[in-house]
Amino acid sequence: MEAATAEGAPQAGAPTRAPLVYRHSVIARATHWTFTLAFFVLVMSGLQIFNASPNLDASDKSDPARRVLAIGAEQSPGGAPVGVVQIFGHQFTTTHVLGYTSDGMGGETQRAFPGWITLPGYQDLAGGRRWHLFFAWIMVLCGALYIGWGLARKDLALIVLRPSDLPKLLPMQLYYLKLRPEPPPHGKYNPLQKAAYTSVLFLFAPAIVISGLALSPGIDAIAHPVTTLLGGRQFARLWHFVAMIALVGFFGVHLTLVASTGIFNNIRSMVTGLYRLGPHDGVGV
Amino acid sequence: MKRRELLTGAAAFAAASALAGCAKVTNALNDNAAIKNVLHAAEPLNHVVIGTRGNAKLYPDSAIDRDFRVNGFDTPSDSTYDGLRRDGFASYKLVVDGAVARPQTFTLPHLRALGTLAQTTRHDCVEGWSAIGKWNGVRLSVILALAGPTNAARYVIFHCFDRSSDGDPYYESLDLHEAAHPQTLLALDLNDRPLDADHGAPVRLRVPTQLGYKSAKWVQRIEVASTFKNVGDGKGGYWEDQGYDWYAGI
Repeated sequence: MEAATAEGAPQAGAPTRAPLVYRHSVIARATHWTFTLAFFVLVMSGLQIFNASPNLDASDKSDPARRVLAIGAEQSPGGAPVGVVQIFGHQFTTTHVLGYTSDGMGGETQRAFPGWITLPGYQDLAGGRRWHLFFAWIMVLCGALYIGWGLARKDLALIVLRPSDLPKLLPMQLYYLKLRPEPPPHGKYNPLQKAAYTSVLFLFAPAIVISGLALSPGIDAIAHPVTTLLGGRQFARLWHFVAMIALVGFFGVHLTLVASTGIFNNIRSMVTGLYRLGPHDGVGV
Repeated sequence: MKRRELLTGAAAFAAASALAGCAKVTNALNDNAAIKNVLHAAEPLNHVVIGTRGNAKLYPDSAIDRDFRVNGFDTPSDSTYDGLRRDGFASYKLVVDGAVARPQTFTLPHLRALGTLAQTTRHDCVEGWSAIGKWNGVRLSVILALAGPTNAARYVIFHCFDRSSDGDPYYESLDLHEAAHPQTLLALDLNDRPLDADHGAPVRLRVPTQLGYKSAKWVQRIEVASTFKNVGDGKGGYWEDQGYDWYAGI
């Protein structure tokens, strides 16, 4: 903190620079990067697991009548294989991308998600499960440590969206769209950041954990009302997939904003903890 | 303009190479024995944390899949099984031996005479699909009580008639706690009819608290043992030998 203030202090003859502040604790940074690794492993191994039964049904047991998503392959009239995706009964041809795609070993085959996005690349359900069930623990422990640390240090409150933030969401969005010169006054996180982080921490992350646990017959035997609440086991598999898509979506928005709001400063702050405050950045709630 | 085209081309090439390289990297990581060992650490953790605690949900008969999905190995077609099948399994004998005080053999009528229990439960396949069937059979705990496991007994190993395409016999194992679970059945009927050959006739295991690969079909012999290390590749089951977890509750 002291060094940061010294560096941030104006020097004779030099233009005044905004101060460097210590923004992210070592726990926040360590859990952020461990979570990043776990996220990649879980998505890729999850798609490997999905490939073993490339359908999602809004039902308890498997039920083709309630199929929401199916990724498969068909023979074209000419005899060539065609990748096909069906969403709510609407059919799309997706050859080389989904359904008929990379086998992870240099060729192509009937396979829902391609080899370059699954872990491992080749078809191996046992391998995918091994990665998934290990890194699920890493993700949960990371999340628990982050939230526990935040509660202990009383700074988790900075990231939680409050009712008083709601009127600021639209002005903040207008600022991002350059339709407003100044963002609404805010603390360490702006209202849109709070909305995004709050939904990830308290909605999508718990949803992906609970829907994943509901897929376990051992957990289901202990707590089948949870599975029932999700609409049944196959429905839980669907929720698990939907929560994954939501988190991947968050990841895309996150990367876009990291890159567009001072990429060097942002990455430095998540590596070293030091962040140079911008003209609109706050530090409190 | 030229420079932009060059950069675009280079970026496209890099992306294509990265995609192709991605599978190479993930395949190598997956094949690494040291990493595999680390990842396997989650299995005992899941076994301790989740274990076999509650009871699988029971369904009404209206939920039954009348055309219950057939999966797994092909129905056995060797002369022993075919011979049994031809005479309606009249000469079938289930052997219970190993670390037991009183080794047993049971004919099908003998098994039925022990008293059967019908339960409609969901079968969750490791692949991700599920189906609901009404299973009627004898509690495994009843069979084990008759045989009397010795103090050395830790596991119950199920030796089956079916073989993989490489000729490896199918086998599975449970620990004594899982074997004694009141819903762990030796099923004789599916959906009110004697098991047909494709669904594991004449006797299959049903473990509704774990994934489907535990529910071995075509059970021939039940061996009670202190370890499963000397059966197959020593991992406790055919699919376990192929890399699947022994604890199949998740």
